[in-house]
Amino acid sequence: MTFDHQTLAAIAKSYGLIYMMIVFVGSVIYACWPSNQSKFDRAAKSILREDDE
Amino acid sequence: MISQLTKTEREIALLLTILLAISGSILGLMGRGDLLGYHGALLAIAGYALTFVLIKDHFDPEPGPKRIEKYYDDPIKVGIVLAIFWVVIGTFVGDWVAWLLVFPDATFDAGWASFGRLRPVHTSGVIFGFGGNALIATSFHVVQRTTRARLADRVSPWVVIVGFNLFCLMAASGYLMGITASKEYAEPEWYADIFLTIIWVVYFVLYMRTLARREEPHIYVANWYFLAFIIVVAILHILNNLAVPVSFGHAKSYSLFSGVQDAMLQWWYGHNAVAFFLTAGFLGMLYYYLPKRAGRPIFSYRLSIISFWGIVFLYMWAGSHHLHYTALPHWVQTLGMTFSIMLLVPSWASAGNALMTLNGAWGKVRDDATLRFMMVAAVFYGLSTFEGSFMAIRPVNSLSHYTDWTVGHVHAGALGWVAMITFGAIYTLTPWLWNKERMYSNKLIEVHFWLALIGTMIYVFAMWNSGIIQGLMWRAYNENGTLAYSFIESVAAMKPYYVARAIGGFLFFLGAVVCAYNVWKTIQLPAVAAKNPDKPPLPARGSPTALSAAE
Amino acid sequence: MLKNHAKLERTAIGFAFAIMLVASIGGFIEIAPLFTISETVEDAPDMRVYTPLELAGRNIYVREGCYACHSQMVRTLQDEVERYGHYSLAVESKYDHPMLWGSKRTGPDLARLGDKYSDEWHVAHLLNPRAVSPQSVMPAYRWLLRNELKANDMPLHLRAMRKVGVPYTDAMIANATADTYGQANPDSGAADGFFERYGFDSNSRYFDGDKRKVTEMDALVAYLQILGELTDAADQTAGAANLENDAEGATQ
Repeated sequence: MTFDHQTLAAIAKSYGLIYMMIVFVGSVIYACWPSNQSKFDRAAKSILREDDE
Repeated sequence: MISQLTKTEREIALLLTILLAISGSILGLMGRGDLLGYHGALLAIAGYALTFVLIKDHFDPEPGPKRIEKYYDDPIKVGIVLAIFWVVIGTFVGDWVAWLLVFPDATFDAGWASFGRLRPVHTSGVIFGFGGNALIATSFHVVQRTTRARLADRVSPWVVIVGFNLFCLMAASGYLMGITASKEYAEPEWYADIFLTIIWVVYFVLYMRTLARREEPHIYVANWYFLAFIIVVAILHILNNLAVPVSFGHAKSYSLFSGVQDAMLQWWYGHNAVAFFLTAGFLGMLYYYLPKRAGRPIFSYRLSIISFWGIVFLYMWAGSHHLHYTALPHWVQTLGMTFSIMLLVPSWASAGNALMTLNGAWGKVRDDATLRFMMVAAVFYGLSTFEGSFMAIRPVNSLSHYTDWTVGHVHAGALGWVAMITFGAIYTLTPWLWNKERMYSNKLIEVHFWLALIGTMIYVFAMWNSGIIQGLMWRAYNENGTLAYSFIESVAAMKPYYVARAIGGFLFFLGAVVCAYNVWKTIQLPAVAAKNPDKPPLPARGSPTALSAAE
Repeated sequence: MLKNHAKLERTAIGFAFAIMLVASIGGFIEIAPLFTISETVEDAPDMRVYTPLELAGRNIYVREGCYACHSQMVRTLQDEVERYGHYSLAVESKYDHPMLWGSKRTGPDLARLGDKYSDEWHVAHLLNPRAVSPQSVMPAYRWLLRNELKANDMPLHLRAMRKVGVPYTDAMIANATADTYGQANPDSGAADGFFERYGFDSNSRYFDGDKRKVTEMDALVAYLQILGELTDAADQTAGAANLENDAEGATQ
């Protein structure tokens, strides 16, 4: 094993945080991307169409 | 059951049941000197019985070409019925073990009737039997409706439903006999774990294939949650159950990991089972049935996406809050605490999203007990996620851990959130599935609602009280600077709360029985004529010739 | 149509991968350091393995679900240390496959139960908890004294434990069945060399008080009597104890 405990713990504490930020920012950008809005609106309403009970 | 299967599909099914019978027999033979033999026999009997049914009905008329114009709902019906069966059994056993803490001698001097063996029957019965069947059934329903596509094939849904319930049976019967791996909420032994892994892969493949057939370009968010549930539960299940069996003829195995690693892995599993089994899957349910029942689209679709990734990401780090002040390294505990607190954000985003969806439909909530079930579920979801984040804070945890407070917290989530949203979904879904105008009795839904709510409240309040008293008694010092209470004094102090808890649990169990009766009577109601018999519910897929070739 | 469909299919698969990636990277980053934890765990050269009888007892403890009500993990809190003894060290459960730290104390913690009570007390307590502790809510386990212990497959158990990393020797595995019976039946001479294999401070006696047969009670009591006794590591670190005060929950 080339990774000792110190290294792995350091990776968890630093890159883990960066990774979390990336996921968070990424999902917010995706959710708020203007061209996605109409798609989301359609999706939200799509389940209410009458014919599929 | 097999009337919807074509000849080829019947043959594939027959092959699978024969395979089940053979592997059950082999397992039974290998484990004949051990408890394992019983489970081999169980699988074998199930395999032979199913084989018999399939052979008996093999030459029944095949379904007409019109079948592909309809959603495939037969397995969903079976799943719903099984979920109701398990909730009755699971809450009954739960109440039984609650009374065992009041009357500890009520064990008939038999191993199977003692607390330690019955408790996992309760936990697995409600989590996997009730929750699992409900999730599988509703996911099959939601994925078809939101994609406007039929389930990708007709055999694998049955493999999932039948296989999963065989797993539940092996789990419950195993605990009674003393087969357990002792890892909480992952107690089944190695062979049952392997069996479930196979079933789960079939489930995943079926779900993906159905999504791939969708007519809607966008995958509706409820499916995201169901998919996360399927995928992450698979990862958790496999990693936490790695073990070396004593031999292939023994039910017993030894966990691959030991001590601190094993503890970390177990609670990483344990907490994420809460996240992805008891939260993500049921949020999928909420994001479909609540807007549907309220007749309003979800308040913010954007918020549901952000909270989805928040939940998928953050939960994975939170497990170590189960191990505060233990031999686990300090920084891992701090990490778990921090992420548990952050989890409050996506959790409340989901709960708020659900409640805001109802904003403007409060009249409906007042009149419709089904919708009220879902509203109360969202409220309890918000409350118990707040409580969970709070309890993950180290000093709070020093008081709450090991006490009944944890039990109260779990039940606020399990009864208040998971069970309530499921009952809401069941009452919404049952008339649709069996093609009835409505449920047999709205009054009984109302009765069930109040039994469930009052039962949950009594339960949770009793456990809050007992847990906090317990925690305070354990750490109380008298003026001489020595511990004020012996342990047994704290046990004696719990008695009134244990009685109250058992009563609350009984009310909840009664509610489940009322639900079972109501569903049973609904199934017997006369079916309503389809609104539009000529118009098939599914859009045509390509040209008719291409269709028949594909099928 | 077909081309369009392939694209849809790719979205679904990509999406499934995204979930897998986001979820597993989180888990991996947190858990990976724990697999190198042995570098940071205290060393305990005197740590001994469970004898076959104790292992059988531990399996009974698991079978009966004792872990549902009893923890085996004393936390680093003042009152716990005063009530139960030295807080648990990571090394003390290094041969525990699986660990039995527990999550609930309907009954007291058992991490340091060993040698606290006599064998007779344990047998009486397991036969009828309310006979020795009137307010107890524990079930009675009378069948343990009725059931003879099955030990002929103990070599297989030890071999499986060795596969997951517990240092059982070939001699231990070869003698596992005899050691099981011999430890609970010292006059029989069945366990020749038992003390050489497991150390001279291991216990060998009639745990359940019944000299005629070796029962499940023997095994369970043998296990309960060595809880916290497999190593002296805790006694050695006693001076360096850094406890946390409940009220402050403070830092380390």
